[in-house]
Amino acid sequence: MIEALAIDPTPLQLLPEALDQSFKAIPAITTIGMLVLFLVIGYVFAVADTDDMWVAGRSIGNVENGMAIGANWMSAASYLGMAALIALSGFYGLAFVVGWTAGYFILLIFMAAQMRRFGKYTAPDFVGDRFNSDGARAIAAITTILIGFVYAVGQAVGMGLVGMYIFGADYTVLVVLMMAITVGYLALSGMLGATKNMAVQYVILIVAFLAGLWAVGLTQGYATVLPQIEYGALASDLGAEFTEPFRGDTSYYLWVATAFSLIVGTAGLPHVLVRFYTVENETIARWSCVWGLFFICVLYLSAPAFAAFGTDLYLSEFGTMWGDGGMSAAEGDVIVVLASQLAGLPTWLVGLVAAGGIAAAIATTAGLFIAASSAMSHDIYTSIINPEATQRQQVLVGRLTIVALGVVTTLTALDPPALIGELVALAFALAGSVLFPMFFLGLWWENTNRQGALAGMTTGLVIWTVATFNSIVPETVGFLGDLAGENNVFFPTLETWVPAIGSALVAVPIVFAVTIVVSYLTEEPPEETKLMVRQCHSPEPMGKDMTAEDVVQSTDAVTDGGEDAATDGGEDVVTDGGGDTVVDTEQPETETDDNQSGG
Amino acid sequence: MYKRILIPTDGSDVAQAAVDQALNLAEKYDAEVHALFIADVDAVAYGLGTEQVDRIRQGKFSEMEELREDAEAATGHVADRGEPLGITVHEHHAGGKPHQVIANYAEEHDIDLIVMGSHGRAGVRRALLGSVTERTLRSTHVPVLVVDYQGTGEESV
Repeated sequence: MIEALAIDPTPLQLLPEALDQSFKAIPAITTIGMLVLFLVIGYVFAVADTDDMWVAGRSIGNVENGMAIGANWMSAASYLGMAALIALSGFYGLAFVVGWTAGYFILLIFMAAQMRRFGKYTAPDFVGDRFNSDGARAIAAITTILIGFVYAVGQAVGMGLVGMYIFGADYTVLVVLMMAITVGYLALSGMLGATKNMAVQYVILIVAFLAGLWAVGLTQGYATVLPQIEYGALASDLGAEFTEPFRGDTSYYLWVATAFSLIVGTAGLPHVLVRFYTVENETIARWSCVWGLFFICVLYLSAPAFAAFGTDLYLSEFGTMWGDGGMSAAEGDVIVVLASQLAGLPTWLVGLVAAGGIAAAIATTAGLFIAASSAMSHDIYTSIINPEATQRQQVLVGRLTIVALGVVTTLTALDPPALIGELVALAFALAGSVLFPMFFLGLWWENTNRQGALAGMTTGLVIWTVATFNSIVPETVGFLGDLAGENNVFFPTLETWVPAIGSALVAVPIVFAVTIVVSYLTEEPPEETKLMVRQCHSPEPMGKDMTAEDVVQSTDAVTDGGEDAATDGGEDVVTDGGGDTVVDTEQPETETDDNQSGG
Repeated sequence: MYKRILIPTDGSDVAQAAVDQALNLAEKYDAEVHALFIADVDAVAYGLGTEQVDRIRQGKFSEMEELREDAEAATGHVADRGEPLGITVHEHHAGGKPHQVIANYAEEHDIDLIVMGSHGRAGVRRALLGSVTERTLRSTHVPVLVVDYQGTGEESV
């Protein structure tokens, strides 16, 4: 799959040689200060108690949620990997810019508001409840954990590489150290993922990135105010490798497959979707999505400029960029930092750019690991294995999941099989192939049933696994590499048509077809479920604090009172639970007064 | 002697084991009972996702179905048991770190006695799962009556 990038299929060198690797005091202090800031925000957030859960608190606005979406989303793959892909493979790299933004339109148009209406907790929750199946819930939960793992490997690589500039230590030491800090923090508090913390992480990473870009552009005379546009002037100097579309082995097909995979993957990532569950209403869900896209674009429109500046600086310093003696994969992955260094920016500023990369990696890892921990703790442990689980047990299972995932991720990152951007693209292919079709069909076609979902998800998982084992795994697992032969690929034809990073282009239509056909051939889903789906699209605004399930249940109670399988508890939800006793629990509708009548 | 008795409950058997003792005392002293359910922020963060902690903070508790049902069932159980005895039961639902919330609630509502169940865990299990009761003891100056779950057997008083 490296050949897809038209660079030599040499194994990744984990030494970005051109990068100045020595301990630097000010950048080290900046990074540590940043980590401490996250800790403080997390601590303050964690200790604040919610005295009465029925009283409305401060709600989260569009902009704040948009920033949180941006930080949750923009990982080392966006911050470092995107510029690397553009620098190393030119035009092909733009598939990442296109894919990672276009996906938000699908989210905005088809899913953000509808998911908000469905109103569940986790992504597997949606799958389990929509298809009335613990099996489907379990597959979705396992997929969520797998996505977290593949995605986070890229983050660990990024933290390790960037850390080399700041701390000057060995790559292995830094990956272990940075992951230990991130995982340790997540296992202790989990508050890294809180909206407030995410918004701060966004501000840090965007300021660092833009400061670096502007400084490089100004000092090197590439650009003045708008480097995002002005870098175009460099195009003719950079040579055909950078600007010529589809040179070498990079085919149109691969470009389309990659972009498609990234688009559907965006709309299928659990840690992205859950952000829409928690906002005030559907309107805010939509606007958060728009703001999120805006904040993401700020970085994405800047990344190609950074890549172009970096490439030009590298060329003038070392003469060659591509092929032998050119930029290595590891150097590519730190091109943002490398460009700042080659431009002769002061150490503190280069350090800030590097620290921003670490912030990006940490923010996304937090989102991914918490999504994985809730998938394990809520969807597998509490929903399937032990329904009587106490809150403490849920915490324990969640923490163990984070630690286990952290260890596996760290070990894999020590010898990563691909570039940061490619690793992350693998996670997108998985989300796009398995989860996206379930979210999309589940929300938009009420006849999708349990059997269809199970068949569809299994198909998606199989296609992704085959594609990944065909071309990615042989690169890391020695004996498989020997078996696979020269290019570390078992079946070259399969790799051409179902490339691992673009497997969703083939998988999504097949999964859709399988799901639809099986749904037609088997029994229709219960009426209750269909009503829930309709409720997600009803033109009538829903009650402020309601979910689709509430609405279905309460109309149900009025019409015939009878309820079947799908619901839990079957209690009339709008009334408060207490009987005739004095109850100081307010009804959901009256949220204003802070009643403490008991005291 | 006791005017206001607090029963922190998460709806588990362990917590419910304390209910009878508490109600019995309340009846004897003609005290009112406060049933307090606490959504542990850590449990919400790890079990449902950190976004859900934000959701609670925003006062969106009513739409968080399963959690709300747990909360209502837990405190509702106390209310149901107290009603035939003519005991006034205040139900309250809060979020945070359980021992802190309990201590704060006790202070704010002039609680005279906290009655809570305990697993009586020891060794590794205690180290891993911790003891809310133990932490509560250290966080509050209000007298605490600890009802050992293993000591109560299946039924109590």
